[in-house]
Amino acid sequence: MSHVVELPVVAPPTPAGWTPPATTGQSIAPVVERKLIPAGPAYLAHVKRAVHQLSFEEHDKHAEEERKRLEALNGANGNGEDDLGVGDEPEGEDLLSLDPKEWKKQDHYAVLGLSHLRYKATDEQIKIAHRKKVLKHHPDKKAGVAGDSNDDAFFKCIQKAMEVLSNPEKRRQFDSVDPFYEDLEQDVPTEKQVKSHKNPDAYFFQVFAPIFEREARFSRVQPVPMLGAVDATKEEVEGFYDFWYNFDSWRSFEYLDKEVNEGSDSRDDKRYTEKKNKSERARRKKEDTARLRGLVDLALGLDPRIKRIKQEEKAAREAKKQKKTGGAANGVNQKQKEEEEKKRAEEEAKKKEEEEKVARAEAKKAKAAAANAAKKARRAARADGEA
Amino acid sequence: MAATKANGSADAPIEVSSAPAVIGINFGNSYASIAVLNKEENADCIANEDGERQIACAIAFHGEEMYIGNQAKHQLVKNSQNTIIGFRNLLGKKFSEIPADKPTNSAPVIQHPDLPDTAAYKVQVLQPAPTPLPTSKVTSAAATPSASNVATPRSEPTPTTRILTVSEVTTIFLKSLVQSAEDFLGRKVHGVVITIPTWFGDEQKKALEEAAKDAGVAVLQLLEEAGAAVVATTSAPRSDKDTLGEDRTQLVVDLGASGLELSLLSVRQGLAYSLATLSDHTVGGDAIDDRLIKFFAKEFTKKTKTPLTVAPATEPQDKRAEAKLRLAVEHTKRTLSASTGAATCSVESLKDGLDFTGAINRLRFDMEMRPIYDHVYKQVQVLASSAGLDLYDIDEVVYVGGSASLPGLDEALAAGLSEDVVTPFTAGTVVGGGVGDPTTLLARGAVLQAKLLATLGEGSAEEREVKAAFAPGHALQSVKATTRTLGLLFPEEGAENALGGQWVPVVLRETALPARRAVRLDVEVGEGARVGFEVWEAKEGVKITKEAPPKLEGDEDEEDEEEEEIETKEKTLEKEAFLAALTLEAHKARKVDGRLRTTLEVQFLVNEAGGLAITAVEADGGEKVTLAIAPAS
Repeated sequence: MSHVVELPVVAPPTPAGWTPPATTGQSIAPVVERKLIPAGPAYLAHVKRAVHQLSFEEHDKHAEEERKRLEALNGANGNGEDDLGVGDEPEGEDLLSLDPKEWKKQDHYAVLGLSHLRYKATDEQIKIAHRKKVLKHHPDKKAGVAGDSNDDAFFKCIQKAMEVLSNPEKRRQFDSVDPFYEDLEQDVPTEKQVKSHKNPDAYFFQVFAPIFEREARFSRVQPVPMLGAVDATKEEVEGFYDFWYNFDSWRSFEYLDKEVNEGSDSRDDKRYTEKKNKSERARRKKEDTARLRGLVDLALGLDPRIKRIKQEEKAAREAKKQKKTGGAANGVNQKQKEEEEKKRAEEEAKKKEEEEKVARAEAKKAKAAAANAAKKARRAARADGEA
Repeated sequence: MAATKANGSADAPIEVSSAPAVIGINFGNSYASIAVLNKEENADCIANEDGERQIACAIAFHGEEMYIGNQAKHQLVKNSQNTIIGFRNLLGKKFSEIPADKPTNSAPVIQHPDLPDTAAYKVQVLQPAPTPLPTSKVTSAAATPSASNVATPRSEPTPTTRILTVSEVTTIFLKSLVQSAEDFLGRKVHGVVITIPTWFGDEQKKALEEAAKDAGVAVLQLLEEAGAAVVATTSAPRSDKDTLGEDRTQLVVDLGASGLELSLLSVRQGLAYSLATLSDHTVGGDAIDDRLIKFFAKEFTKKTKTPLTVAPATEPQDKRAEAKLRLAVEHTKRTLSASTGAATCSVESLKDGLDFTGAINRLRFDMEMRPIYDHVYKQVQVLASSAGLDLYDIDEVVYVGGSASLPGLDEALAAGLSEDVVTPFTAGTVVGGGVGDPTTLLARGAVLQAKLLATLGEGSAEEREVKAAFAPGHALQSVKATTRTLGLLFPEEGAENALGGQWVPVVLRETALPARRAVRLDVEVGEGARVGFEVWEAKEGVKITKEAPPKLEGDEDEEDEEEEEIETKEKTLEKEAFLAALTLEAHKARKVDGRLRTTLEVQFLVNEAGGLAITAVEADGGEKVTLAIAPAS
């Protein structure tokens, strides 16, 4: 029943003494002829009912179907209505109280309400999100609202966020140091954690799949091979590690550069800051490469598939040998010994490598310290000279 | 170099709008307005390129130029003989049918020299001389010795007379309206709905349709003005504030420039038919103008001691002054409608080189216009009585036309109507182009109707039949309607009123059939968890009680003055015929304020023959009772 009129009246209770009067068999008063004005949707409905000989209920059903069809049609051609999944994110108090002066520290995606999409947001989505936010937070809209009408701080934040995200280069720089992922990068599980888990194999995939998915966004080469499942073939697994050991990352750290002091015109000062920024960038990049490498090392060490592949290889070789030697026990022993030898050599090599790495790092540190010391000394000497 | 595109020739980067390119035109005798669908598919009245939403129905010829609309109206001052106004009312009329007695200050209507019995206008125009052939770069062997590369200057335009039939004038005007709409939309217009007055006969409709066809636009429908008003007022989204039900009796007051048209409509859930109509050409905006310019002319005479008689004026000088004043008071009227303060009227060199500036406030204006308001009120009374109704039966007043924007008119009418009548002024929808804005209402209604018609398909025979039902005089337009109000009566012990209980009207009288109405209401549940009600036919009426006014002490000496009685009106209700009674058990009663209450839904279905089917359901899946009453044989 459509068009139900809600009446505000409350009818009194039926008196106990009331008995329904007997029906008199009377029908309603005679009807009169009238001429309708052929206008409006109501007339159309009236005509449709008459032409298609529909009852009110049937017509309601038709109208409902028609409405749904139109709705679907409108939704399909996306005429301005479709926001490409930008949606509406709640704006917390701390988000709205952001300081536009501290724009470098703000999460631009959160400001535009795109924190569910982040680096995945397309340019179109960013545009839509920006428009939505501007419509809501434009200072003109707040003119009549009580409170500080000059408070357009958040609007400035929105503009800053748009400035960063709409420029591909600036967006790349921000994506490189996205604070949201920065936090996630910190909690990579240790070897111990994985191994002590009651089901280490499943846990490995559960933990590392999203990590690699996340890291894949930095790759210059797309598509990036993903971790895959536990039953991946040898080629797949090898391809995966091969790719990740030769990872070509676009990640860079210009975003964290220290601003050149605006007030000073000193060329030296500027050059100094620039130099510092450059070295800082290089250091960060190196650290990041090392971090990724460590991550891949960790994954390789824990990957249950590697063990399986090794075992399979071993079994295959053994089967081959057995076929060849006809199952000589001596051969097996020999083989085992060889295996052990190899393992030991490998381990040693690894250890050595590790040590070398440490040594290298140490050496670097020492070098840096030496350089620093030299610099200090130079400076001191200069100071002395000046004095 | 790549081929460059001319500016603006590139495709629009995004689809502009999915709304169909249809327009609505309110084509009055004096003014026209255009409405289009905006992005939200709502109706919007648009301005033409002069920025006018109210486009004067006037065409003027001056030299080589042709002016259409409000610019043409200004030509009435100096170039009245070549200015054509008031042509709509002559559409489809033979020359012999046109009363010739009216003195005009515009181009006179004449008999067409060639076509028999056809009304036409004669205007003096300058015909542009044909452009000379461009000089050829290649001089032929037989070139004249004086051949030069300088273009031959155009010769002087030649003065000629041009004879235009009423239909041609209409075509020119409609074309300009459609052009304005196309410029606004940026697309070709596919269809148009044009409003017509109630008195338009078949001849007039045919003539208008042909004129529109010549203008190159498809007419979807010629819609009666009352119909456009209904569409515009009923298609507005309903809000909680609306006190008006979906079933109402509507009074359409169309006070245009050239006449008054009244319609009393029964609007039942958007389905409307006319109960009575009345048209009166003695009052209107022109009459208001007449009074106003007389007022200002008097003031001018008083101020400058220069005699000025206007409306009607006899001297050519006075005629000029009248035309000037007429243009000036247009502005004065609008200012008065828009603001509560005084409005000025300024004319430079009104007569004998004397300037005039006068002011009038609303009170003074209403005083001057009182006879017109009273006349309208009287006509409304005549209309209501011809429909067998009282003024108190009117639920809503809709104003149409520029002159109906005057708040004084509403005040004058409201005095006679019931207190809870809804007018655009009480609803506050007049200002700012709201739903009730009288000047744009019809055009907006027309475009909404055009939108509706544009969605109709033509695929199957049935679809074609649906479309045909919008043509004038289609069989589906004649319907049966109820004559009494059907409703529920909840019996009550010791009821105060004569009915003996709570009356709930469901199907009002004058409802087109077939009709379905459903109401939902709360019912208190007494002992025995039984809910019962009776179905009655009732007769609504208005009781008028006349009372002598309370005598005041001081009145004693004015005995000779006729005692005026105060009329108090009251809506009454009489039970007329008992139809049936229904009872059902309340299972879903709930406690509200310590008393048991349940929600009841009752649906009335009246079929075309007058048979009634009643369904009563207790909400939330309670008991359901049905009952059918056969129609009278």
